[in-house]
Amino acid sequence: MIKRVEVQYRGIFQKNLAKKIGSDIVMIASSMGQRAFSNGRYSDAPERNGIPCKYFAFVSPDLSEEELEAECGAKLEIDEANVSVVLDDTMCKGVEPWGWHGVRPINERVVKDGCLVVITKRPHEELLQFIGKKPYNYRLATLDGEASLAGLWVNKDDLTYEHVLGAIAAVEPTIISIEAVEAYLMKKTKDKKRAEAARAAYNSLRQEAKPPRVKTVTPNEGIVWTHEIPVLPKWFEMQEGAVVPAVPRGFQMGPKGQSRNTGFKRGTTKTQRPAVRFDLCTKCTLCWAECPDECFDPTTDGYYDIEYQYCVGCGKCAEVCPVKECIVMVDELQFHDNNSPWEDWKKDPKTYITSLEAKKGTERVNYPVVTGKGVIVTKGEVMPEGKIVPVRKTEEVEV
Amino acid sequence: MTVTMEKPKSGMSDGVYEREELLNGCQAVAQGVCLADVDVIAAYPIRPYTEVMDALSKLIADGAFDAEYIIADSEHSQFEIVKHASSVNARAFGGSSGTGWMYGMEALTVTATDRLPPMFVVGNRALDDPGAFGVEHNDAMAVRDLGWLLCWVTTPQEALEHVLIGYRVAEDKNVRMPMALAIDGAFLTHSQHIVKIPSVAAAKKFLPQYDLAERRLHPDNPISVAPQANEDWVMEIRRQNWEAAKRARGVIKEAYKEFNAIFGERYAQPYFDEYMTDDAETVLIGVGTVAAPGRTAVKRLREKGHKVGYVNLRWFRPFPTEELRACLSRFKSVGVVDRDFAHGSPDNCGILMHEIRSCLYPAKNRPAIVNFIGGLGGRDLSIADAQKMFDITAQAAKKDSMDGYITWIGLRE
Repeated sequence: MIKRVEVQYRGIFQKNLAKKIGSDIVMIASSMGQRAFSNGRYSDAPERNGIPCKYFAFVSPDLSEEELEAECGAKLEIDEANVSVVLDDTMCKGVEPWGWHGVRPINERVVKDGCLVVITKRPHEELLQFIGKKPYNYRLATLDGEASLAGLWVNKDDLTYEHVLGAIAAVEPTIISIEAVEAYLMKKTKDKKRAEAARAAYNSLRQEAKPPRVKTVTPNEGIVWTHEIPVLPKWFEMQEGAVVPAVPRGFQMGPKGQSRNTGFKRGTTKTQRPAVRFDLCTKCTLCWAECPDECFDPTTDGYYDIEYQYCVGCGKCAEVCPVKECIVMVDELQFHDNNSPWEDWKKDPKTYITSLEAKKGTERVNYPVVTGKGVIVTKGEVMPEGKIVPVRKTEEVEV
Repeated sequence: MTVTMEKPKSGMSDGVYEREELLNGCQAVAQGVCLADVDVIAAYPIRPYTEVMDALSKLIADGAFDAEYIIADSEHSQFEIVKHASSVNARAFGGSSGTGWMYGMEALTVTATDRLPPMFVVGNRALDDPGAFGVEHNDAMAVRDLGWLLCWVTTPQEALEHVLIGYRVAEDKNVRMPMALAIDGAFLTHSQHIVKIPSVAAAKKFLPQYDLAERRLHPDNPISVAPQANEDWVMEIRRQNWEAAKRARGVIKEAYKEFNAIFGERYAQPYFDEYMTDDAETVLIGVGTVAAPGRTAVKRLREKGHKVGYVNLRWFRPFPTEELRACLSRFKSVGVVDRDFAHGSPDNCGILMHEIRSCLYPAKNRPAIVNFIGGLGGRDLSIADAQKMFDITAQAAKKDSMDGYITWIGLRE
């Protein structure tokens, strides 16, 4: 018997966290007398900022280590997951962790009666508006918390790691038991608060917990997944010499007016998207000029529309925008489509602004990911239509 | 059988050859590059290759030849320039020796994967025991598994001719692989012989224009060359290269046929030359200039009634598997002469020995086989050495044991 744990994480920002979880599942399962190992995989995207990636841990009470490695190790992607942990709930929109595999549902590998554990502040129903349907029942557990985003060289010690271990113990105790988790954390850190954090997460996901945080998802729940897996050519169908036809260069004014690579969009990379108040825009061109992914399409009336499928949410546009509240980074799960914001605004400016401000709220969330120091929240304000206030951004970058 | 030391039979009068000049191997290669009307040359000095770039710059300075001549800041840049020039449909040329060749290895690996057909001359040089610049074949051999064409020649005349033959094979639409033309350091690079230089018209007739067609990198033909390729693509790319290497054998054969038709019967066999092998029982096989003492020893031993012969292997990649298997399985014993080493490899044999042993494994009649390692770092391989090797090889047919399986020739011991 093999139990597989998949840890879905954001490249760079959560790499250390995911690796730590994978590694310690191995250590804890071993302390329970099981065989286990862990590995990380990436392909097209060597863990670029925010790109969805995966870490795995495999546990077996009866197989030898070599058999376990042969079954689980020598492959790019696992076949199935008994537990799939999602370290950032915005990945519920789908992940594109491997180039040429297309945008895949977050629960793709979850087995029947398996469990998708999402770190989130949202209720099940809200997440299921983004998650694909499965043909069988599985469990969806919501582990209370914010996405823990840090940098590549730092570990953000916010107890997320302890919470995840406790959560796995709750939903699949044959992999790691809560007692073994506690004993391991105490032995390793001699810090009681860590064992207690794991226990608290464990308790929050137990069946008798109130409110219930583990929901059985039936085949009727979730959305129909429309993204298709690209079909790759056979060796004799390919151009020789590793040559591919260029993306045909094309440009016209207006939404989606630039030609782009349809093979790899990378939109699943973002945790936040830039929300634009066109009525505050001075047409300064900075967002368009600075965007590293060329996501801004000039419009005939001098604005810059955004093609969200290609936006990786880097935040550069919001950073360079010289107008207060004109471009603000907003939680990706607030949005249900990739429509052209400029078209929506043109259609009905009043509704556009109202709805956008509702999504924005007044908290401006910022992740100083390089230092891993947590989340910075600043107060925003709702600007009246057309009220242009310049900003001078002089805040120091944390080092 | 043709002995390649012989001069071309065609005369000056029929317009195939234009003039005779005293040229060493490097200068002969330069003349070949000139006749091939190469567009881009990238150069970076290292002896013994250096004289190739010197000769080319002189040809350009003298107005005898027009090409873009770029001095690079290292072999790595040099090979990159050559590769990129080739991708925009320029006939491109580079070259190096020894550790210089190894320094540019990253570019060399990708040139093969990109399936581009520039030519590089490798003036074989030792892999650099302090400053050694004598001949050894390990430098050129380093590209043998990467999807390169790799060929050794033995005389300046052959060197010139193989610039034309090499480009023709490399650029063929069924091949498009980079070509390494190996010439032994000192013994060929700096050995002067009278060379018959083909006319421009004859060279043009033999070597068509380079046309990368649908893979030409040009604004009118927008493509991406060598984008990121991982698990999803690499096996298919390798499979294509495998196919091209197989197809190259047929293209080589065809090229020699055409070459003989234009320049007179220069080459009896495309992949290797056999010398006095018709009724031979014992043969030596080697690559490069060891052919001269090898064949001379054959001539002298024949006078004494020994049934010996010599096989000069020209094309190492693609390896002429079937042809060589058929050839060598006719003999009682074969001695393989390696001017290279493969330390720690099976039986500690040389590289050529491994290839030939592997080639003979499926043969119905496997000859006895022994290995000679000699001439390393540019040490002599003399006629007397060759005679000794023939003697040991002949003895091998009578023995069952592995005694004398490998002999170091010319070693102080």
